[in-house]
Amino acid sequence: MPQTAPNGAQDSRAAAYERNLYQVAQGGRYFTWYGCGSCHGRSAKGPLNLGDRVWVHGGALDQVYGFIAERHPGATAGYAARIPAEQLWQITAYVRNLPRLTPEKRRRQDLDQVGEPQGSNWTGPVR
Amino acid sequence: MTAPLTPEQADRLAVSWRDAPGLWGFLTTVDHKRIAARYILTVVLLMFLAGMLALDMRLQLAWPDMGRMTPQLYNESFSLHGSTMLFLVSVPVMEAMAIWLVPLMLGQRALAFPRLAAFSYWLYLGGVLMLWVPHAVGITPDLGWFEYPPLSGPGYAPGHRADIWAQMITFTEVAALAASVNVVATVLKMRPPGMTLARIPVFVWSQAIAGLMTIFSLPAVMLVTSMLIADRLVSTQFFAPAAGGDPILFQHLFWWFGHPEVYIIFLPAAGFVSMIVETFSRRTLFGHVAVVLSMLGIAALAFGLWVHHMFAVGLPRLGNDFYTAASMAVALPAGLQIFCWIATLWSGRPRFDTPLLWVLGFIATFVIGGLSGVMAASAPLDQQITDTYFIVAHFHYVLIGGAILPLLGAFCYWYPKATGRLMSERLGKLAFWLIVGGFNLGFFPMHLLGLMGMPRRVYTYSEGMGWGPLNLVATLGSAIAVAGGLVFVANAWWSRRHGALAGPDPWGGSTLEWAVPSPPPQHNFDHLPVVDSLTPLWTQKEALQVMTGLAVERREVLVTSVIEATPEYRQKSPKPSIAPLFSALAVTILFIGSIFTPWALVWGAVPLAAALIAWFWPQRERATTGPLAVRR
Ligand code: HEM
Ligand SMILES: [Cu+2]
Repeated sequence: MPQTAPNGAQDSRAAAYERNLYQVAQGGRYFTWYGCGSCHGRSAKGPLNLGDRVWVHGGALDQVYGFIAERHPGATAGYAARIPAEQLWQITAYVRNLPRLTPEKRRRQDLDQVGEPQGSNWTGPVR
Repeated sequence: MTAPLTPEQADRLAVSWRDAPGLWGFLTTVDHKRIAARYILTVVLLMFLAGMLALDMRLQLAWPDMGRMTPQLYNESFSLHGSTMLFLVSVPVMEAMAIWLVPLMLGQRALAFPRLAAFSYWLYLGGVLMLWVPHAVGITPDLGWFEYPPLSGPGYAPGHRADIWAQMITFTEVAALAASVNVVATVLKMRPPGMTLARIPVFVWSQAIAGLMTIFSLPAVMLVTSMLIADRLVSTQFFAPAAGGDPILFQHLFWWFGHPEVYIIFLPAAGFVSMIVETFSRRTLFGHVAVVLSMLGIAALAFGLWVHHMFAVGLPRLGNDFYTAASMAVALPAGLQIFCWIATLWSGRPRFDTPLLWVLGFIATFVIGGLSGVMAASAPLDQQITDTYFIVAHFHYVLIGGAILPLLGAFCYWYPKATGRLMSERLGKLAFWLIVGGFNLGFFPMHLLGLMGMPRRVYTYSEGMGWGPLNLVATLGSAIAVAGGLVFVANAWWSRRHGALAGPDPWGGSTLEWAVPSPPPQHNFDHLPVVDSLTPLWTQKEALQVMTGLAVERREVLVTSVIEATPEYRQKSPKPSIAPLFSALAVTILFIGSIFTPWALVWGAVPLAAALIAWFWPQRERATTGPLAVRR
């Protein structure tokens, strides 16, 4: 389980995440749980749209990971303080796979997962 | 009684029904006995593989806190074990027995649709490969033998594991439908003269009824797995509540098939039991009409019970009450059958050879499974025990007790007919005691484990739960039962060469299959027998009455009327053909392709259409007179 950020665009740990559908799907769930979907949802436009193959801050593995972890606005100076490293790997894998997910499929997956607590509507652990 | 065939006629008949030699014959044969043998050998192999998986799981559970299996591997193991045992073993093996036995018991030379039987086997093989080849490369379904959405939906089951499971079902169910249609048509339209409905042997009845149940229930599961694939592949929303879909729909459609399925497995087993009890009690079955009517009653009730698999879903109270009552009602016809068998044994002169031993083992075990079934069918109790080991114990008692034990008895009973040699009684008795003893030792404690709260589908448990000792006993018993299974197979293997020669009728049976040599020649019967009672071989002691008139120089069968079995016409029976294999290959391409792209349905239809056209290409000359005459 990775404890550290990727050490470059060709980090050898990448394949285990980016080419494993299970890891990608886990990334998708964290993507909604941490509330990423509230801004980067299916209908996001412009720079917020992560599925359009246009990467303002660079699309390489270390660039995407680094941006989410260290420089993402909103969370003070990135999400690394809130999200453990393995989940960041999974989220990165999901985000980098988004261009390959057709809009219908993304919508369908979201439909299955709307029942889950996401970002703002999470009311704490079930008692 | 007419003179037997002259040597020339006999030769001519043999030539008409002969397969081509070698590989070509193997690929093109439409002989029901060869096809059934293939089915059965495949099933035995799969039962071995799935049994090894089961033993592996039991080893993992033998002690608390074991780490030799990961949770993922455990999930894959029980999914593969359950799916194989139900879809690739239990249902197909009963069909195989029908394909082999029904024409013989009806005095016929072939099934109604010989090529359809060949097609059925090839498709079944496709289903086997669909599940086990991906397993060999590490893509194994891991969501159990019923894969409910949303867990199996696009949001939670990425990859192709769930698709493989769903498409394996489509394969096997098309194969099962093909086999069932064939059996039902044969029973209704191809009986020997004199075999009115009232004179059909119980086994043939059981297969016809199971066939009809298959025809009514299997489309539901094919539909539902196809809907699941559509949800996953082209993003339909059948099971997505947020878009107006309903995941409970999956459960309803699945169990509309799933509950009748257990009777599709059990009725043929009850057919085996009836035949074995009759022969080994040396008297006609007590209450023939009652047994057949109970089978029909079970078949009708079976379609009104499926909700007992869904008591924990939260359906309306009245619904649960209704299905509790309906489920308990099946105990009546099932119990009636058991009393008829006991009465037959009681009033007969029973002979305790291995086939009858298996039947006695069946009665004891199945009664326990039936009692735990009545408990689980009661909604309030089920709320407590659902998804615990109590259920694991219950369904193994009914599946192994109610289907596998009679099946093993049937193997011993008809083995001499198929091979010409008897199985060893000593090895047979050893296997019997190991399997029945080991099974009960292994699975009875699971009831208690369930009541102690051990859930099913857990890969391990901690020591403090106190489930360790009973689990160890369960593993021990399972291992003994598996060893018994190996003894059984070894016995069958050894007896093929070294068993005592059987002759046509080693047990003194009453039905027509015992009138032909063992193993039967490819055309089964030289002349069509004529039947005057339920037990023709007992009432026509001297020599069987026959009907002549079927051609010897081409493949011909007799078609009779549905109720009275009066001869109607002679029908050409198709020759061997490669078309069933090609059609099955085309269907395979279509099915496998369609888990990757919806376009497979379009492009896959082209080779399929070509194969079917080749299959159904008319072979008769065009008429020269009448309205259909060729116009010049
Ligand atoms: C000696 C033989 C057998 C042994 C030791 C055995 C053992 C097991 C075990 C350990 C499980 C997993 C229970 C759990 O963790 O929930 C299981 C599940 C199951 N078994 Fe067997 N089994 C045997 C034979 C059979 C046969 C012959 C059938 C059917 C004809 C069968 C049908 C099933 C089914 C349907 C499941 C449920 C799978 C699921 O949960 O999805 N088993 N068995
Ligand atoms: Cu049921």
